[in-house]
This record gives sequence, C-alpha cells and structure tokens, in this order.
Amino acid sequence: MTLNLCVLTPNRIVWDSEVKEIILSTNSGQIGVLPNHAPIATAVDIGILRIRLNDQWLTMALMGGFARIGNNEITVLVNDAEKGSDIDPQEAQQTLEIAEANLRKAEGKRQTIEANLALRRARTRVEAINVIS
Amino acid sequence: MSCSNLTMWVSSKPSLSDSSSLSFRSFLSPFQLPSQNSPISSNPSRSSSSSSSVTPIHCGLRELRGRIDSVKNTQKITEAMKLVAAAKVRRAQEAVVNGRPFSETLVEVLYNINEQLQTEDIDAPLTNVRPVKKVALVVVTGDRGLCGGFNNAIIKKAEARISELKGLGLDYTVISVGKKGNSYFLRRPYIPVDKFLEGGSLPTAKEAQAIADDVFSLFVSEEVDKVELLYTKFVSLVKSDPVIHTLLPLSPKGEICDVNGNCVDAAEDEFFRLTTKEGKLTVERGVVRTETVDFSPILQFEQDPVQILDALLPLYLNSQILRALQESLASELAARMSAMSNATDNAMELKKTLSIVYNRQRQAKITGEILEIVAGANALE
Repeated sequence: MTLNLCVLTPNRIVWDSEVKEIILSTNSGQIGVLPNHAPIATAVDIGILRIRLNDQWLTMALMGGFARIGNNEITVLVNDAEKGSDIDPQEAQQTLEIAEANLRKAEGKRQTIEANLALRRARTRVEAINVIS
Repeated sequence: MSCSNLTMWVSSKPSLSDSSSLSFRSFLSPFQLPSQNSPISSNPSRSSSSSSSVTPIHCGLRELRGRIDSVKNTQKITEAMKLVAAAKVRRAQEAVVNGRPFSETLVEVLYNINEQLQTEDIDAPLTNVRPVKKVALVVVTGDRGLCGGFNNAIIKKAEARISELKGLGLDYTVISVGKKGNSYFLRRPYIPVDKFLEGGSLPTAKEAQAIADDVFSLFVSEEVDKVELLYTKFVSLVKSDPVIHTLLPLSPKGEICDVNGNCVDAAEDEFFRLTTKEGKLTVERGVVRTETVDFSPILQFEQDPVQILDALLPLYLNSQILRALQESLASELAARMSAMSNATDNAMELKKTLSIVYNRQRQAKITGEILEIVAGANALE
C-alpha cells in the first residue's frame, strides 16, 4: 500500500506525492504515520513535519493548522509551510534572534502571546534546517 | 471669422508686395472659405472642439500638432496600463487557482467534521450567534484609481448598507481595506471606522491574517455581533459585482448552511449566497458526499473536537478573507483593463479626427500658397 501526502497552504500546494512514512507534530505530541493508518483528524501545531522517502528523511516547517488521515491519504492544511531545504539558514537564525529579543521586550499579555508565537515559528524554521537525519 | 483669417493670411506674408495684395484678397476669398468650412462640416460630432482648434489657422496648425502629440502620448500610457493590468490579471487569476485546492479541501474537511460533531455539544467562539446590536463592515476597495467605476461601486454599496443598518436602528463600524476606501472614509468623519488597512499589490495569507485578527478580536470580545464582508466579486473579465457576504458568525456547518435566520440579513445577501456560492458549492457538496461514505464513519479525533474546530475555523476565516481579497484585486485589474482599453480606443479615434483636420488645414494652406505664387506670377506678366 502506498501513502499519499498532500500539504496545502492558502497560496499553493507545497507537497503532493507519495511518501513512505511521516512524523507529524500535533497539539498532543508527535505522531508517526505509516501506510494503512487508522483514519484520524488532528490539529497540527507549529512544528516540523518529517517525511521519509525510501531511506531519505526530509523536513518541513509547518505553521499550524489541521490534518486529516485516512484511506492512505494524508491531507495537511496549514497557514504556511516551508521545506527545510528552502529556508535560508542565516535569515532563519536572524529571525530567531529578533524574535527572542522581542519576547524579552514584550509587555502586556497580548504582546507576550504574539512574541511567543513568533518565537515558536522562528525556532521551528531553524529546527527544520538543523534536524539530524 | 473669415475676415480675421484673411487678415492673418495677408499679414503673415510680408514678402508680398502691396500692389498684389488687393487683387489677391479678392482672388483668395472664394477658394479659402469652402476649404475652411469643409473640416467642420465633415466632423459634426466633435464640432465644439474641432471648430475651436480650427478657428485661428496658423496658431491652429501648431496647436493641432501639439494636440495630436499629446493624444498620442496619452494613448501610449493607457495602452501600457492596459497591458500591465492584463499581465496582473493573469497573475491574480493564477493566485486564485493556486489557492483553490486549499479552500476546497478545507470546506470539505469542515463539512466532514461537522457531520460528526453534530451529535456532540460544542461551543466554538467563532460560531456564536448572538442577537445583533452592532455590525462590523469590512469594505475591500482598491489601492489605485483609473479603473472605471470599480471603487465607486463598492463604496456606494457600503453606503447603501450603512443606511440600511441605520434604518434598522443598528450600530455599525467600518474596517476599511485599500487606499481608496481609506481616503473616502477619512473624508467622512461621521462614519465610525475601526481600522484602516492597506491592500498591498498581491494579497497573501499575511494580509488576510491581519484582517482576520482584527475581525476575530472584535467579534470574540463581543464588541460586534456580526461581521459582514463587502467586496467585488469577480465574475468575468468584463463583469464584476459588489457583494455583501456574512463573515462572522461562522456557521459551524461550513458554508452550506449559511442561510441564517438573522433579521439583519438583507434579502440581497441571501441572493448573493445563492448565486455566488450555490453554483460552486453544489459541486463541492457532491464531492464531499461521495467521500464521506467511505471515509468518515470511523474517523477518530486525536484531540477534543473543540480543539480541532479551534484549529480549523481560523483557517477557514483566513481563507474566506483571502479569497475575497483576491477576487477584489482581480476585479479591480479587470476593471482597469477594460477602462484603459476604452481610453486607448477613444484616443485612437480622437487622434484620427485630429489628423484629418490637421491635414485638411495643411492642404488648405499649401493651396493658398500656390495660389499666391500663381497670382503673383500672373501679376508680373
């Protein structure tokens, strides 16, 4: 049985092809999905998605959304998604530093929440590059 | 008129001897007058402008040349704007097409999950239907002018909706998106505006997110009880309609069951829903039904249904707003394209008539000069 993965963002289709296995970060922790997985629906956290093609692992940074698995068909709907190989390491590192600085400066509840979110996004992008494969 | 022409003619020829001028005057006038009148009689439609440019001949020739040049330049500009708009329309359409799989799957999933959640008692903040006291209107306009009646149409629609809400005795506030709308509402301080936002050249998820955040906080804090989106629906390259669309409260059942018993809804609103959505949605619904059969019965939820809806509904809200922005942009560009193509056609026509007048006058001048020479030669013999 083959497993088909489809990653969609509002702007474009990021990924639409066959995979062997994926590891998805959901709101309640990471789950691994192999062919013939039970049908589930889950919210996707800001985090990395790991994809296995034969013996090669790929990573992707996901910015929160939703996933539906069933019938050997995985549909991931996210606000934004970037392939690890497409992210500029320097730029991502800089963004992370800026986000950290912003969080230290943040005052009030709303700002703190926003800064936290930005930090998590930035950290995910850096992780997506530096993941050990 | 002819008299002044003649004096000009004569005075402009200092080389002619005084003796010949008398005979020349009587000689010229019968020829000069018909050739003077002919361009006017041949262009009755543009009588005012052409006759005014024709009246003083010498000045007229130069002026005509200037006018032809300026019309030519205008035509070049409008032509270029048309081409730019056409290229951008294509890009905008591509963006819409690229976004389609996402929104279609989203609606499908939402429908899917709602069917399962119907039995459970869930309470998501975005779906709360409250008695309506205050309405937020998100008005999407363009950033630039020169696109025919595009901005006017949507602003008029907003004004009509505002007076309608006033008539119902409801409070309202406006969220203006796009520079044209911003300047319009800034000039009218009696219309309460919550926020001014700018559209940007090509709407992305980021812009939609900014609007969604604002709308979300307004709605969740119960400052407003209903959010309506006013934008221009893209029908085709030559047709676009300003529409009103209820954004919040979201129906937890997805788009399909949006028909709400709210008294605030204009009858028009429902009409739009039928035309703009039903056409598309009947298709989507059909797709969903076939899939749900072999799909949903055993679908498990990894988290609480509430959490899943929490993850889904903001996505849905975003994609709705993004789509509205994209359609509005596409209609703006299409409107600009047709406006500029009309302008180019008009410029071409104007240039043609002006050149005819110019050539006639030039011909008349040359004929006159030849006559002068012949008359002079005759006088010398």
